[in-house]
Amino acid sequence: MELLAILTTLLLLYPLYIIIYKSFKHKYSTNCYLVDYVCFKPSADRKITTQMAGEIMERNETLGLSEYKFLLKVIVSSGIGEETYGPRNIIDGREESATLNDAIGEMDEFINTSVGELFAKTGISPCDVDVLVVNVSTFSPAPSIASRIIHRYGMRDDVKSFNLSAMGCSATLIAIDLVNNIFKLGKKTLAVVVTSESISPNWYSGNNKSMMLGNCLFRSGGSVMLLTNDPAMRARAKMRLKCLIRTHIGSYDDAYNCAVQKEDDAGRVGVHLSKELPKAVVRAFKENLKRLAPKILPVRELVAYMYYTIKRKVIKPARKANVAINFRSGVDHFCLHTGGTAVIDAIGTALGLNQYDVEPARMTLHRWGNTSASSIWYVLAYMEAKKRLRKGDGVLMLSFGSGLKCNSCMWIVNRDLEDLDVWEDCIKHYPPQTLINPYIKKFGWINENTEETFDREERRKSIRKVPVN
Amino acid sequence: MPSPPLPDFSSSVKLKYVKLGFRYIVNNFLTFLFVPVIISTILQFLRNGPDEILSLYNSLELDLIHILCSSFVLIFAMTVYFMSRPRRVYLIDYACFKPSPACRVPFASFMEHTRMICTDQKSVQFQTRILERSGLGEETCLPPANHYIPPKPTMEASRAEAELVIFSAIDDLVKKTGLKPKDIDILVVNCSLFSPTPSLSAMIVNKYKLRSNLKSFNLSGMGCSAGLLSIDLARDLLQVYPGSNALVISTEIITPNFYKGNRRDMLLPNCLFRMGAAAILLSNKRRDASRSKYRLLHVVRTHKGADDRAYRCVYQEEDSDGHCGISLSKDLMAIAGDALKSNITTIGPLVLPMSEQLLFFFTLVGRKLINPKWRPYIPDFKQAFEHFCIHAGGRAVIDELQKNLQLSAEHVEASRMTLHRFGNTSSSSLWYELNYIESKGRMRRGDRVWQIGFGSGFKCNSAVWKCLRTVKAPVDGPWEECIERYPVEIPEIVKL
Repeated sequence: MELLAILTTLLLLYPLYIIIYKSFKHKYSTNCYLVDYVCFKPSADRKITTQMAGEIMERNETLGLSEYKFLLKVIVSSGIGEETYGPRNIIDGREESATLNDAIGEMDEFINTSVGELFAKTGISPCDVDVLVVNVSTFSPAPSIASRIIHRYGMRDDVKSFNLSAMGCSATLIAIDLVNNIFKLGKKTLAVVVTSESISPNWYSGNNKSMMLGNCLFRSGGSVMLLTNDPAMRARAKMRLKCLIRTHIGSYDDAYNCAVQKEDDAGRVGVHLSKELPKAVVRAFKENLKRLAPKILPVRELVAYMYYTIKRKVIKPARKANVAINFRSGVDHFCLHTGGTAVIDAIGTALGLNQYDVEPARMTLHRWGNTSASSIWYVLAYMEAKKRLRKGDGVLMLSFGSGLKCNSCMWIVNRDLEDLDVWEDCIKHYPPQTLINPYIKKFGWINENTEETFDREERRKSIRKVPVN
Repeated sequence: MPSPPLPDFSSSVKLKYVKLGFRYIVNNFLTFLFVPVIISTILQFLRNGPDEILSLYNSLELDLIHILCSSFVLIFAMTVYFMSRPRRVYLIDYACFKPSPACRVPFASFMEHTRMICTDQKSVQFQTRILERSGLGEETCLPPANHYIPPKPTMEASRAEAELVIFSAIDDLVKKTGLKPKDIDILVVNCSLFSPTPSLSAMIVNKYKLRSNLKSFNLSGMGCSAGLLSIDLARDLLQVYPGSNALVISTEIITPNFYKGNRRDMLLPNCLFRMGAAAILLSNKRRDASRSKYRLLHVVRTHKGADDRAYRCVYQEEDSDGHCGISLSKDLMAIAGDALKSNITTIGPLVLPMSEQLLFFFTLVGRKLINPKWRPYIPDFKQAFEHFCIHAGGRAVIDELQKNLQLSAEHVEASRMTLHRFGNTSSSSLWYELNYIESKGRMRRGDRVWQIGFGSGFKCNSAVWKCLRTVKAPVDGPWEECIERYPVEIPEIVKL
């Protein structure tokens, strides 16, 4: 009977061992680590200065004075500086007749530099990549950009590629979500996420005010990220993903119709941004926060919030002031989507942030413009270049996109980060002493003119006389 | 790759019977081992007699604790085994878009429109020749915008087509399955050549008022094989989220992609691509197993983009006049064959019965060690699958695959008839073909289906499904009204 007892015990212990081993393995091999990332810096000949932006606007024949005024007001209050980058065809004057080759060329410039840079920086070979996710919202040729990358870098034939499109400025977090879900399957995987935006084919050549904002605000940029769930790479990883929340309020008609690509009355295609956009963004933001707050805030903050809410609602119902949650108790750094100064300020106020917290987003907007989905990576790169990211810090990424989506995710910094990367040449100048927009000086004259006195020809002649800075 | 399966021994013995015998023995190997053991055990029991057996039993000295422990161990081990299996993915049902007869494009209309739109006589003649040999029928449909002369590919018309095809398919699916839109947890949409802002997935969220914590993905630019890619993504997501369901939409929007120029390699899509969409409901809930039609066994993806020729095979570019179109290279067949070979090497070991795998292995060993002149053995996939759904990319693709896989006319009938009735509906064609097989009453419980899709990149994706319940004809779907007329004889050339 001794033998039977031993045998029974062994047989019992074996499945127990399997269960414990599997649960540990699952816990450790389903973490999403950000090994490294690279932001794209276009070549210097693609810089768009104040002067050039004004000239590009002037080229649109359909603009009347009120539209021109509106555009300049937008540019002046946009928070965009003098060193942002644009696509070649717009700089060359062909914004209204973009060809497929222009759009592909813009993508190729990004793919051929940044993806290669990432491989060189991390020492990974393209053959090791198991998953490739590309998100470029406004351009999807056949074969897809994912196929272009696979072809250019010679990846394996069993690579899992996904080409996400039309998912707006928050698509980079959707791509991270996709990768995170694949990581949860447990198999050791190496993933590359490529985020960019295509500006060349999307110039709006009409005069509908709600469609012209895209022309003023979007700039060229992109970023490439390397992620893995392999515990062996944990030591070299920069950050670990704690949670990711996606919210989609497209079921509300006003939210869905906030940003719609359509034809204007003259048949020209542009993205129409409705006046309901700020309200819809706030609603999406609130929905997202409802699910995000319990996951990232420390318990005492949540308990305090509950206590004060109950106090306000039940004990002293007269108090009108909203109980604010202090997000800075759970989060150390905030990567906000650089949609524009107004957007950054609005989110900053809603979250109760101070100047220090919104500085990275503001500076990114100033240096790079609104690079759409990849902007939060430039913001992250700023924080890293300023040596703000220390081990154990929490970084919250927040972005919005058409549809209407609000996506957020929380990273925990794995080790002290000091890479200068794309901010190398200019981080010393940030934050600048003043952020006075040079556009105000150059275009303040517009407020003095009326419909009668505004003479396009005169204006064109005077533009040519102004010396280039 | 035409070749006899084995080296030529036909002079010595009846090869067919040898092969049959070999197959039978290897596939039922365990049974052959098991049966003698059972028989000998029974004989032993009978020889010993009942008294001996009783005394054997008594000598074991089993008491309650031992019985409890052993049964506990058994139950415990079985629980661990069942829990560690990957979650099963069930296909509850699917629905295909049924075009209205008003959108039909018979040959006469197509040629008349072409003659009016096209300025170059040679292009008109070329398109006539293509249509004659295409294998398409007179009932294929184009979206309303393409019925204008010249077609009106506005964004509004493209959206209208998207709403028409996608919403019809989803409405049909809701009717068939009783699905409540609020219950959808995952949404994957694939449409290769049209991706407006907001995305088609956002359009569906808006129309059906889906939940705000839905996981939606909008795949674009991934070609005619993107349908199986979406199924793969949905499967991965269903492994991560227990108790969920996923809605997968496969479509191709034709309106914005009409080619206005004269380059021959770019005129082919105009002639072949037609309107279509499919909506598929997947689930990983165990209680859905009883009402599901199929269970997903495998999905295998192959991407040949690293090779230059394969990459340039299906390529969107502008011609010398600035007209945008998709060029199809002459190497398409060869590249498709290559991609299929890569895909087969991965899927073969997963699905082929042991006999085929052994034969393949022996021939491989024989070629390496004994005689390199032996022809490579092409496994017989008819042993692994009862039904084949080959992407109806064009007549040549179906012919090529029939030859490569050594399939009979009945196996490729679904593909040919779908091409005839609906044209090349891109990623949704596989679902029209599956519906054909069901409508013909051929789908039985336990049947396995192999879906193969090809697309730009160059990708070859395949999926294997197992039928869970016999599908009784007549089946609700796009084939409902015309299934009696099929199969039709499709002539080599239809004289126009």
